[in-house]
Amino acid sequence: MASSSNNNYALEMIKIYKNFGPVIALDDVSLKVKVGSIHGLIGQNGAGKSTLMKILSGIYASGTFEGQINVAGESVKMSSPLDAQVRGISIVPQEITVADTLTVAENILLSELAMNRKGFYSKKNGLQKIRKFLEDNEIPLTADQLVSELSLHKKQILMIASALYKNPKVLVLDEPTSSLTSDEIANLFSIVRNLKKRGFTTVFITHKLPEILELCDAVSILRDGKTVRTSERSEFDANQLVSDMIGRKLGDLYPEKNVLSKDAKAIFSARNLVVENPRKPGEIMVSEFSFDLHAGEILGLGGLVGSGRTEILRALYGDNRVLAGKLELQGSEITSKDIPSAIQSGIGYVTEDRKLEGLFFNLEIKSNSTASILDKFKKMGLLNKQKEKEVAAEITESLAVKPQDIYEMIRNLSGGNQQKVLIGKGLLAKPIVFMLDEPTKGVDIASKAEIYRIISDLAKQGVGIILVSSEFPELLALSHRILVFSGGAMRGEMTGDINKEQELMMMAIGQS
Amino acid sequence: MKLNLKVFSALSPFVKRLIFVAVVFGIFAGLNPSFANYASILSVVQGIAFVGIASIFLVLLITSGEFDISIGATAALSALTSAILVTHQGFSMLSAFLISLGAGILVGLINGLVVIYGKVPSFIATIAMLFMCKSLATFVSEGKGIADFPDLHEGFKDSTLGKYFSIIIFIILIFVGEFILNKTNFGKVIAAIGSNPEAARTAGINTNRVKLLLFMATGCGAALAGYLSLLHFSSAWFTLGSGWELLAIAGMVIGGTSLFGGKGTVTGLFLGMLLMQVVASGMVASHIDPWWQTVITGVIVLVSLSVDMKRKKVKFDAK
Repeated sequence: MASSSNNNYALEMIKIYKNFGPVIALDDVSLKVKVGSIHGLIGQNGAGKSTLMKILSGIYASGTFEGQINVAGESVKMSSPLDAQVRGISIVPQEITVADTLTVAENILLSELAMNRKGFYSKKNGLQKIRKFLEDNEIPLTADQLVSELSLHKKQILMIASALYKNPKVLVLDEPTSSLTSDEIANLFSIVRNLKKRGFTTVFITHKLPEILELCDAVSILRDGKTVRTSERSEFDANQLVSDMIGRKLGDLYPEKNVLSKDAKAIFSARNLVVENPRKPGEIMVSEFSFDLHAGEILGLGGLVGSGRTEILRALYGDNRVLAGKLELQGSEITSKDIPSAIQSGIGYVTEDRKLEGLFFNLEIKSNSTASILDKFKKMGLLNKQKEKEVAAEITESLAVKPQDIYEMIRNLSGGNQQKVLIGKGLLAKPIVFMLDEPTKGVDIASKAEIYRIISDLAKQGVGIILVSSEFPELLALSHRILVFSGGAMRGEMTGDINKEQELMMMAIGQS
Repeated sequence: MKLNLKVFSALSPFVKRLIFVAVVFGIFAGLNPSFANYASILSVVQGIAFVGIASIFLVLLITSGEFDISIGATAALSALTSAILVTHQGFSMLSAFLISLGAGILVGLINGLVVIYGKVPSFIATIAMLFMCKSLATFVSEGKGIADFPDLHEGFKDSTLGKYFSIIIFIILIFVGEFILNKTNFGKVIAAIGSNPEAARTAGINTNRVKLLLFMATGCGAALAGYLSLLHFSSAWFTLGSGWELLAIAGMVIGGTSLFGGKGTVTGLFLGMLLMQVVASGMVASHIDPWWQTVITGVIVLVSLSVDMKRKKVKFDAK
């Protein structure tokens, strides 16, 4: 390879401009990735990360955007994903896409097999080749294992191995940690570092700051379709990244916390609660813990994905079994035996997965928002549609759902507005205790601010709120107190303070 | 005994199934010694040859995650078409044969196009095709059959080759199908598509083209089966091939092909069909009321499916 100065960069995307009709998705975006480095790419949802990656992976073909792409110093024009692969760009998508019924070796070899469809397949040679490849790159996979037997984490590693096998000039990992536990993340990081040692160049896309801080040599920040900044490792810190990402000071994003009076009474208490693992009946997911929730308080549950936060909420909501312990709501004991009785007694829950279990996507706003309180519109055994309409219109207005048309189909709404309808559905049941699970997942930053305001307003009205969020700044900024869980046990309690992210992280990974 | 079980479980699924079929055959032979002869084995294999030939490429298609319910009707349509062409229109045997294969491929092509580009689920698209082919077959034969289809050439059917013709082709196609699935890159590509179309696409596979090809191959296989049946019996009725799709599915399920795609075996199909046929013929030979046959077939399908599921679950739990 000639050593011109350009070749210091494995990848250069220069002045990329892309619009969809009148909407400008990328405006003068540049990304320069040095050979042999781990380059972080962060930005909020909607910042343009995925558009940029679709350009890089050839999904948006050359000609549908402006700007130049250089790979290893050479200008390239890509017309399809396959084309991008040939030119040395391998992208590992966020979703797990592997062929379950094939072996590890066959999965890794797949693109090679696809190129030579008329060829004959030798299981022995394939295995031999892949065993060596895995060994050389220190990838902990067994070549002849059936992929359906692998854990999610191993499948993720398999995808990286498949991408690596193409010997790419640039390896792009798109949110690779989103469904991994902390151990698995550590494992993944060590693989990525290993690749760096072997000279590979990696672009690491994430929205999790700690990962950038831990892993990356350089970082580029995207916001509203623009590159805000590109910094070397020595030049960035967490606070800088956050304000670059959201484009304003943290304080502006989050509403002020309501002040709790010293004598605020506990409206909801849990004593010595033990929560079952819904995937393994009879087994304990979260061991004994207790807490009190006061009127108007926002209580955060902190921890990593898989620490049992969601299972706790579901247990309180009657959707997951409580193995032992006592629940008290406004002074009287309740048993959370099923969902209807939980709603009846005043407990509300907003699921983290609005697509799968939150909303009826083929119904309109009206039917979605009133779904759990249809009983209240009964008139001589029939549904009083007029009443239902009024209630739906009212909640749609008070939560500022866009559009304000109760007959709009849910599937046509943005993620943020879907989320507002979902929250509205829970609120209409007039909960005393309102539990929100990842309420801003997949929601743009403007809607996030609105959802924060809704939550904060509820607390001011005296509703007790239990909040689960994987976004630590959000959790810290909204909650009065945070209970931290890790490895199926409560590790401690801390006050919600935006500057305590480090402390929360350490507790969440069980390091304090 | 325990050791024996261990040895048994270490055998390949093919050998296991083969032993099972042999045991079932042995039971019927024990019940009725006259069943245990060469002629009845031959008739068992002959009994599944046509539906088997029609199902070989269907296994590949199902492995890629698609379905074709119309194989029986396709066989009927193409067999009757070539029968009419030869007996009423004076076409040569060869040209009628080619036209019938062409008809099968065309049916497969239409199935494929409707499924892939029309985005109609293959189950539904090919049910529609089943109805169309069936009534077209009835239409071209005017609701009757053709009973005077000539021999390939004078005395062919009585020759050794002629007697075993469809069985030989069946066995050749079994090897071809199994070879494609296990020993070619294309076979791995098929399994990958059925297992996870998205993963296949990102690996650079043109899934639509592969599926289209498999739909056409399936249609072609069905037409070939229809023509061979026509040749074998010198006759064809519009009812030819009814129920083949169900026999094919049952055979595949017993044989270890996943109906959800990603995993297919042609030798498994052969053994699955063989098992059903051994039971059916064995029951006839043992003078058991033939109405019980289909009940037993149903039981076999259920048992083999649940054994399969159970094994998967054990594996999963052990993880």
